[in-house]
Amino acid sequence: MIMEITENAYNETTILGIIGRLDTTNYGILENKLSTLIDTGKTRIIIDCSKMDYVSSSGLRVFLIALKKITLVRGRFILAGLQEIIREIFEIAGFTTIFEISGTWEEALRLIGEEGH
Amino acid sequence: MPYYINFKDPNSPEMIRVLESIPKCPGTCFFMDINKSTDLKYQGGIADWGRKLNNTFNFLLFSNHFEKDVVKGIGDEIMLFIPDSDLGKRFSNGPYYSLLEDIYSSMFTIRNHPDPGLFIECKVSIHYCTEVFNISFLEGANDYYGSDIDLTARLMTKCIENRIVLSEKFLIKVRNDMVNLGLPADTGCLGRISEKFLENFKGVPTNTEYRIIDVK
Repeated sequence: MIMEITENAYNETTILGIIGRLDTTNYGILENKLSTLIDTGKTRIIIDCSKMDYVSSSGLRVFLIALKKITLVRGRFILAGLQEIIREIFEIAGFTTIFEISGTWEEALRLIGEEGH
Repeated sequence: MPYYINFKDPNSPEMIRVLESIPKCPGTCFFMDINKSTDLKYQGGIADWGRKLNNTFNFLLFSNHFEKDVVKGIGDEIMLFIPDSDLGKRFSNGPYYSLLEDIYSSMFTIRNHPDPGLFIECKVSIHYCTEVFNISFLEGANDYYGSDIDLTARLMTKCIENRIVLSEKFLIKVRNDMVNLGLPADTGCLGRISEKFLENFKGVPTNTEYRIIDVK
């Protein structure tokens, strides 16, 4: 299925935008992208989910792996703009208590900036 | 809808005629078993084990859209069946590969969740069934019967927590999907698959080939 990833940088923060469905046929693209960012020291990452309309269990796994890696190096990983159906899946997965979640990527950017990183 | 079989006359010729006319219903059967949940019930009250069972079943079913695939639950084990006709609609590309990968991912998330008190780890057996019929002997209940359903249950005897046991017959369907999708053979959880095992399961006349995938 078609999924696009956009990438923008604001100072030391990377914003990845996911457009479309994140499922078993394409989760590897996001997994590789996140691994590359983390391995190159870019550990302040915002995922803009406002245009992500489906996430499979494989997609959830990618988010969890990234969170664990970033937590180890004391980076920041924020999920922004979750649609209602996605938020419901995140709640059931117990993700809303372990991830930082914000309404929009702009708000997430302010969260990171306000804390003076 | 299942074929409902209920005849008062045990020698009814009509029953034989109806049974022999029922078509097979090929699809994927899998059993999901919550691990050590009996122990939990002795260790804590219902608020503890009930909450964890709720969370685990909810997560496994809802995040994978399996809610309508549950055929029955027996204690802390559920049997699910997805006919080929439904699976193809759900995953337009690589349905068997996608199904396996999603099941693995759910188990991975449970095993590696930072909050260890939220879920209970589980085990799964999967088999691709051709000898199966969508029939029920109980009015209003959905069910599937056939030698392949029994074999799926037998595979569970080779399972331990955080393990998927899959028949070679199901793996062939997965591998075909991967070829069609242009994916390397070790993509995703297939990179963790074991060699082939042979087992003579009770009641099954021939040896069964199966593999295991341990969730790390």
